[in-house]
Amino acid sequence: MKKALVAMILVGGQGSRLKEITRDTAKPAVSFGAKYRLIDFTLSNIANSKIDVVGVVTQYEPYDLMSYIGAGASWDLDIVDGGISFLTPFSSQGGITWQKGTADAIKQYFRFVREFSADYVLILSGDQIYKMDYQKVFEHHLTHNAQLTICATRVPESEASRFGIIEVDDSDYLTSFEEKPEKPNANLASMGIYLFNTDVLERLLSDTETEVDFGNNIIPKAIKDKYCVSVYEFNDYWKDVGTIDSLYQAHMDMIDDPDFLTLNVSSNLPVYSKSLNLPPHLILANAKVTDSIIADGSIIDGEIRHSSIGYETIVESGAIVEDSVILPGVKISKGAKLRNVIVNRNTLIPEKYICLSEKVILIDRTNLDVKGENHG
Amino acid sequence: MANLFLVCDASNIGSFNRLTRHRVPGALPFGAKYRLIDFTLSNCKNSNITNVAIFPYGNYRSLSDHIGSGDRWDLNRRKDGIFILPPKNLNLSIEDSLSFQRMYEHLEYFNRSTQEYVIVSPANLVWNVDYQVLLHDHLVHSADITEVVSAEHKRMRTYVLSKSRLLEYITNYDTIPYRNLTEVFDYAQNLKKHPYHFEQACFFPNSAFELYQANMQLLNQEIRAQLFRKDRPIFSKETMSAPSRYGDDAKIKNSIVASGAVVDGTVINSIIGRKTFIHKDAVVKNSIVMNQCHVEPDSIVEYALLDKETRILAKAKVIGNLDQLFVSEKKQIVISGEDLKVLQITAECNPFVKTGGLADIVGSLAENYSELGVSSSVMMPLYPRIKDKYKLFIEIRADQIIAYGDDKYKTTLYSYNNQNVNYYFIESYDFFDRDDIYGYEDDGDRFAFFSKAALAFLDVFDDLPDIIHIHDWHMGLVPLIIKENEHLKSIRTLMTIHNIEYQGVHEGTIYDRLGIHHNGNHHRINFMEVGLNNATKISTVSETYKEELKYEYYSKNLVEVINRRDRDFYGIINGLSDDIGPNRDLTIKEKYNLMNVFGAKPKNKSDLQKRMSLSEGNDYFVIGMVTRIVEQKGFDILLPALEQVLANEKIQFVILGAGDERYVRWLESIKQRHPTQVALNIGYDATEPSYIYAGADAFLMPSRYEPCGTSQMIALKYGTIPIVRQTGGLNDTVDAFDGITKRGNGFKFFNYDYRDLVFQIENAFKIFTDAKEDWRQMIINAMNSRFWQKDSANAYIDLYRSMLT
Repeated sequence: MKKALVAMILVGGQGSRLKEITRDTAKPAVSFGAKYRLIDFTLSNIANSKIDVVGVVTQYEPYDLMSYIGAGASWDLDIVDGGISFLTPFSSQGGITWQKGTADAIKQYFRFVREFSADYVLILSGDQIYKMDYQKVFEHHLTHNAQLTICATRVPESEASRFGIIEVDDSDYLTSFEEKPEKPNANLASMGIYLFNTDVLERLLSDTETEVDFGNNIIPKAIKDKYCVSVYEFNDYWKDVGTIDSLYQAHMDMIDDPDFLTLNVSSNLPVYSKSLNLPPHLILANAKVTDSIIADGSIIDGEIRHSSIGYETIVESGAIVEDSVILPGVKISKGAKLRNVIVNRNTLIPEKYICLSEKVILIDRTNLDVKGENHG
Repeated sequence: MANLFLVCDASNIGSFNRLTRHRVPGALPFGAKYRLIDFTLSNCKNSNITNVAIFPYGNYRSLSDHIGSGDRWDLNRRKDGIFILPPKNLNLSIEDSLSFQRMYEHLEYFNRSTQEYVIVSPANLVWNVDYQVLLHDHLVHSADITEVVSAEHKRMRTYVLSKSRLLEYITNYDTIPYRNLTEVFDYAQNLKKHPYHFEQACFFPNSAFELYQANMQLLNQEIRAQLFRKDRPIFSKETMSAPSRYGDDAKIKNSIVASGAVVDGTVINSIIGRKTFIHKDAVVKNSIVMNQCHVEPDSIVEYALLDKETRILAKAKVIGNLDQLFVSEKKQIVISGEDLKVLQITAECNPFVKTGGLADIVGSLAENYSELGVSSSVMMPLYPRIKDKYKLFIEIRADQIIAYGDDKYKTTLYSYNNQNVNYYFIESYDFFDRDDIYGYEDDGDRFAFFSKAALAFLDVFDDLPDIIHIHDWHMGLVPLIIKENEHLKSIRTLMTIHNIEYQGVHEGTIYDRLGIHHNGNHHRINFMEVGLNNATKISTVSETYKEELKYEYYSKNLVEVINRRDRDFYGIINGLSDDIGPNRDLTIKEKYNLMNVFGAKPKNKSDLQKRMSLSEGNDYFVIGMVTRIVEQKGFDILLPALEQVLANEKIQFVILGAGDERYVRWLESIKQRHPTQVALNIGYDATEPSYIYAGADAFLMPSRYEPCGTSQMIALKYGTIPIVRQTGGLNDTVDAFDGITKRGNGFKFFNYDYRDLVFQIENAFKIFTDAKEDWRQMIINAMNSRFWQKDSANAYIDLYRSMLT
């Protein structure tokens, strides 16, 4: 089956900077915004961009992610001639081929691209929060007659050193690229979203050995080999969620902006997520809720201010939750007080537990006593 | 896999009124994110039932849209699965429950189903049940048919039986006396019937109010726990929506909120549907707000049930109460209603002039509107008899010369204000200075002229009315004249059909005399048709008659117009004056109310028997009728039925009325053969029928059609049990008595067939004679029936409001 373009999502990283949140789950399966998982945004973008072949390249704790995505029906990606394929490490005659770096994973599964005789390969990352129409990237790629298009966005200069920093000419062609520069002199950052001509990608991959990574190896090599590299600048909300702080910040962005990613506008490129079949949430007589988002299946009898409450969360009367992110399945018992925290999934906060933090911290069943005071 | 399949009855329409204009009851939203049918389908999934057939009636698009492939309930199977089986014969009208005849249309489905047992259950049932337990119970009791009864002793119309037995009923639908399983359970002999008592939460909403109540029950933790169980989850179609969002000013208590909702106002004791916006400073209390509604700033919503996509505009107030909820229609826009101005233009209005029920309705609406805070006016011709009686009260407001045809006519506008209603009378010597109201050769010209004059006088007022409400054919040209007049275009018109038999067909030259250019057939003008075509919305006087008018059998030559205007067509039942009732009636032997009815009614009965020279005794079953003796009232089936039932000497029959000679002669011959059982009072004396209402045990109305009907309401108020055909307003006011739950206030039959009438008369006689407690309960139920004129007025006001946007 011939397809013009296939997408591959890289979800391989362990996400160790998210600490206990990724203890049992791959980073893209991390909960976000009360009811979503990080991967929902990329998968929804794919569905909304009318791309129907996706390879999900995964190796770390794949079970949770695979069972979440299933056949992809929630994103209308359960398609007869395409749809979602999981590309996990496999055992071959040469032993288990554990993937070495982001691009190596693509290299191992290049036959996936060949199977669809795709002319173009879109490389995506599974842990970013944004809404993008990839067809626009495709158009940009074609009108610029490029062999590789890199998506990039403006970041605060203070953060620029975390990214691959790009400079472009007036016609949007790349003039320089530096991966994680110590002293960045620009703020246009690579989003880790690439569109390759298939033959170009194949050549770039075949020339490299051992550790292969897009930012460190492939992109610099493409520039060195004088391929035509254009840059698609993206100006809407985009957040790479790799740390506790960025996860927290993205939640606060969502709470503070009533039009965050136009999630509440039904007609505007919906963000799909897997149905959990939960009843609507319930607000009881003692509750006070302001400036917050709450997902299905929760029961609230306490006070919620400026917080995100994940699905199936119970907040008992007298409990106060402020400026916090409560991941799904948490119970916050009577009289507990929380501020500036992320509470990991399925954590039981005991009665009268107090944690009023100055800077953002993660509370988990393993560190309850370290992080807060237990007056229960 | 289970040895059980399920037939889901989505064929009844209940009395949800405007909520079911766009959907069958099973597709009604419930509990913020569900549809009623989710419960039945989830129960199937949780009971491992994989073969489900849904029999919808009418507009089932929304239902089939919701169900999709059935994958949410694992019903997208290769073998079996879910089947939506729509009616094939569109001439079958709606019935209370799924008939064997409807099932026969899809006999193939039943033959093909391999399971041995079947459950037949309505789509609008809210419960969480394991159907296997029902089957088990059915088998353990070796029952032939099992019906589920709720903890509150309500019948759930859910039946378990073997497929072979059901097939027997289906294939013999035209020879057995039962139309559906409820009738089988109630009347069939030699069957082992077993009621299964379901003790958990269970709701069977059949009206907007019951839907409201069931929703509100979800705020009760106990009920929630019984309906939403971890081991047997309720599945629903998932639509993507963001988590609910609360703003700075949100104040919320005791409420259920679905995802995608945005709350920045106050919400108390309410259910908020998906993607609904409660804006800043809006207040929602004790209300059900379905999906995608907008409640805008500074508005107030109390005791309301807002259908999907309703917009409550800023500062609007919708305040219902438990007796009368405010119910919006899908996509309705509700404006602040305080300054609504309604003008009724009519040929007659109580208390000024009256030839029939129309005058009562117009008069009572006008008075109720002003009590409900609506600016209310009525405009009518000044007949001499009004001028004579009211000359001291009416004052001249304006004169105008109105051109009509080649001539010009002088007309004078008078007004009279009473209890805040403005009555306007238009005087014209040429057209209305006559003794009678109707019945002149130039009636067409008279009312065409009047319509033109009435609208010309609107210039006298500072403000135009928002709504002009016209009744029957007489003012049928008003909407057309409004359309032709730039100045009047902002006025919305409602035309109400009281009886479609009278259409006002006159010479087409009336168009020319009115100066209206008209393409098409000039030969004839049909006033009613013109009205139906041009009014903003149209209505009739009961929900069932509205449905019936979609069929040519009822609406005759106007069937196409009616069906074309279906989306603007409403049914609103008339009320009954509070003055009518046995408690104030000085003409009856002994006045009574609920407190003394069982003592007083026998005295009134023996008075009736004495007056009419019938055999006296309280054990006689006295059936009364007060009616015009015409074909419409069902005499073609009544007379053969009488011949049969009067063989039972304990049955007596009294009739008061006048009409067709042929029926009267037949009645007289019946009387000759049963002199002590039959009493005739021929020659209609409308002022004195009370002794029949008060003295009879049952009241008969086997009408072929009956738009609304008043007599059955009066009979109910007098505790006289109606036996009626299930048509028009009779269907909407009489609930069939149910021996299991002791609910219901009368007897109904469906087919216009004398055998069905006989069956129900005998059924009534049996209960009257053998189940005296049941009969007493029925009298209590009857006297408690509610036909408030205020309810009717409120329903019209809601409709007017929905027309303003």
